[in-house]
Amino acid sequence: MNMKSYRFVRFLGNFGVYFVLTFFAFVMIFPFLYMLSTSFKIPSDTFRYPPRMLPRDPVTIQVEGYDEPLPLYFVDVDGSRKEYALAKSNIKVGIYAPADDQANTVERFISEVKPTGGVMNQQKITVNGEEVKLFDVEVDGQVVPMILVSQTTVGEFIDPENPESEPVFQNVRLSEPVENVNWHPENYTEVIELNNLGRALTNTTLVTVLVVIGQLATSVFGGYAFARLKFPGRDTVFVFYLGTIMIPFVMLIVPLYQLMVLIGWTDRLAALIIPWIFTAYGTFLMRQHFITFPKEIEEAALLDGASRFAILKDIIIPASVPALATQATFTFLYAWNSFIWPLVIINVGNEKNHVLTLALNVLRGRASDTPNLILAGAAIAIVPPLIVFILGQRFFVESVAGSGVKG
Amino acid sequence: MTTPSRIDAQTNLVLRIHMVWRVLFAFVAAVAILMLWTGAGETPLWQKILIALGAVIGIGASAYGAFQISKRNHAGRMASLALDYLGFVACFVFALNAGEFFIGIDALGETFGKGVPYLGITALGYFLGMLEEYFPTKNKSAESSLKTVSRWVMLGGFLLFLWQVDALNGIIYFIGKLAQPGGLIAVAGLAIFGLSLWSMSRPNVAQALNVKTGHEQIINGWLFLSPNLLGFLIFFAGPLLLSFYFSFTDSDAIRAPNWVGFENYAKILNIKFATLDSPDQLARDVVDIKVYDEVGRFTFGNTGILFAAADKFFWLALRNTLTFVLFAVPLSVIPALVLSNILNSKLPGMKFYRAVYFMPSIAAVVGISLVWQWLYNATIGYINYFITLGIEFWNNLFTAAVVDPKIQWVSDENTALFAIIIIAAWQTMGFNTVLFLAGLQNIPGELYEAATVDGAGVWDKFWGITIPMLAPTTFYVVSTTTIQAMQVFEQVFILMNPPEGPNNSTITLVLYLYRSGFQNFQQGYASAIAWILFIVIFGLTLIQFQRQRRSSIYES
Repeated sequence: MNMKSYRFVRFLGNFGVYFVLTFFAFVMIFPFLYMLSTSFKIPSDTFRYPPRMLPRDPVTIQVEGYDEPLPLYFVDVDGSRKEYALAKSNIKVGIYAPADDQANTVERFISEVKPTGGVMNQQKITVNGEEVKLFDVEVDGQVVPMILVSQTTVGEFIDPENPESEPVFQNVRLSEPVENVNWHPENYTEVIELNNLGRALTNTTLVTVLVVIGQLATSVFGGYAFARLKFPGRDTVFVFYLGTIMIPFVMLIVPLYQLMVLIGWTDRLAALIIPWIFTAYGTFLMRQHFITFPKEIEEAALLDGASRFAILKDIIIPASVPALATQATFTFLYAWNSFIWPLVIINVGNEKNHVLTLALNVLRGRASDTPNLILAGAAIAIVPPLIVFILGQRFFVESVAGSGVKG
Repeated sequence: MTTPSRIDAQTNLVLRIHMVWRVLFAFVAAVAILMLWTGAGETPLWQKILIALGAVIGIGASAYGAFQISKRNHAGRMASLALDYLGFVACFVFALNAGEFFIGIDALGETFGKGVPYLGITALGYFLGMLEEYFPTKNKSAESSLKTVSRWVMLGGFLLFLWQVDALNGIIYFIGKLAQPGGLIAVAGLAIFGLSLWSMSRPNVAQALNVKTGHEQIINGWLFLSPNLLGFLIFFAGPLLLSFYFSFTDSDAIRAPNWVGFENYAKILNIKFATLDSPDQLARDVVDIKVYDEVGRFTFGNTGILFAAADKFFWLALRNTLTFVLFAVPLSVIPALVLSNILNSKLPGMKFYRAVYFMPSIAAVVGISLVWQWLYNATIGYINYFITLGIEFWNNLFTAAVVDPKIQWVSDENTALFAIIIIAAWQTMGFNTVLFLAGLQNIPGELYEAATVDGAGVWDKFWGITIPMLAPTTFYVVSTTTIQAMQVFEQVFILMNPPEGPNNSTITLVLYLYRSGFQNFQQGYASAIAWILFIVIFGLTLIQFQRQRRSSIYES
């Protein structure tokens, strides 16, 4: 095999690799793109088929003689495509045909067609055993009695530059509106101000911040005690901690709920914070980190008369920023995204104490005809963690990789 | 052995007071038990038992402490410190509670939003202080002034924040609430326990009780662990035991629970199989439909077996959950394995792809489910649109006439669960990829080099080296994914309307647990479901563990 064809095979291989990777990347990222684009649309645009990515608005134009701006549509005039304004819609058009030759139809405005024999005394004809009303329809200057085969509506389209010229009539629903790309960030303000997402965002932030701080504090102290201090009972407690890591949270919902009822914390933000600042898993991770820390530095500090607290504060914590950042990110995501516990503990009616996930749950029912608002709400819940992720990516992904049990 | 150093009169007095205090403590605890047991009992039994148990331990420890102090043994100091510390913490929590500190977090939710911008100022001050680490200056005075400025900015920002969130009013309110009887008792307790702790930790008292070098570490160890351990006991271990107890009661979260023995479990596990004479024979002909509901039937030719259960929803939920696990786990693990092998190549841009794959796993499931709800929309959703495009392309290419199925993803009982599976697989795939990638990077490269020398192909290397060497990672990935999948709830709850889906096709165990416990308020029953769920999860993990161990023994 010569060098050239080898290179070509390698190139093909790499091309295949990137193709597969990019395909999966597209699958992974597409729902996010869809969410963001839809959150900037107007409601009618979200229901359009086939769907489109960029948010678009129908274009309107101010035409002389009309108070309201008129929507623009593409209209075929003399074989060329032009932008005409819709002056009047819902004009009824009847499709008429002679009773004995129903394939030979003509279209007339219903308002221009008179019943045969007058309104009071309309003539009828029997077609297929049914009586059908007859109308006088003018065809080439002649009045022919015809029956109404079907009805439709059209719109009157006029040239915006020249409103007096001959209008064009065509079906509005089948006409393509003139649109331009237009983003609607006001969806976000609407969802924040009118649908309680502002308060929910504040609550979620508050809860998340307090849980992160509290959990870091308790797991740093606990982890340090497990890793560095010798005391009877330590290993028993540690094994006990380890044993509970596997236990799924749903086991605790019922008793924890009753505990909250007992303390009087149902419907309170405290119930979303206090139980979550003590975790076996976080303590375990901190212990695993501290145990790798060289002992000598600490012993030297102890000889100098430093207290354990001072050692923790001045030596260990400053040297553990990456590990702390990782755990903070984990806890942040967990607290920010949690749903079932808030759902259980916070009343649906008590909107003051809703967190984002709960508010989204309410919004889902309330705004089911405006996906743009729902997805703006979803974006408010999803984007902050993504930003935290992008900022903390270096620590975060590496440490997830590290948590996969070695050996 | 050295003789104990002489104890001065003052220390002696302190020790005597401590002995009296320990006896008094035991006495008060005993009175508390008596009052609890004789007082008109609105308290549920489990709470009584719990409080009594705590008090008995307290009495014992306190008496032991008094005895050991009299003997001048250090154990007395330990017992004394432990009891006083627990008392101090309890009073602290009661004081916070009496001052409505915990409830006050709600009020903070109201004003917190206004304060957040000022926290930004604090953060700015912090970064200002960091600047000098990035741009080290020779000029020491400039450096220190920068630090001073940073400190003041931080302080100012924080004070502004406190002002904006109305902290002063909160503190005034707190003190006002604390000044009422309950709060005052808590504060008095704080003072007594605090004084006792302080006097006990003084060096001459410690020496009088023969302190040794190791003791300090014991005290520090428990002290450091205590916030974590107390919280863990109260909010995790305690509720876990409580859940076990509730599963044998008819608890409804309002009345005191009654013991019902195995009734809950018996109802859940009460199932019946019956043979059918014809495939469409009615259930009432073969089972007692006052007790049993039909869950499903399996037919072979002209006969069949009917599966009926006293609680059909549980069995439907179990069926759906296991189906979900059966599909969602392989769908999120196998592509992850493939992708991680590709990402492990040293081509440029792999970190970018890794980050992109990771994104779904950090987004809120509730938000994600809302997005997919619209993607799944049968008429305007992108998924059906892509299917339509694909079919059109196929038909044009091969002049075939494949009919567009226009799948009603969430409202068709045959696809509803599958729609949930796709979301879950999409969301966990990236996380698993990263885990696998880490496992791959731990495989020594020499193995592959040796295999290449032996003439092994890419495929041989994958099956011969990668798969066996990855076994521990695979075990970890599969078991964590399974544990998570067994608890599927949020996607179903958000996406389906009603959450149990068309014809109960998406009712899951956790959803059923939620419904029993928090919509029907059969919390004893819900606890029993929780324990069965746990047993299933535990069993699945155990099976995987056994398999992994067997395969690793085989490998070695």
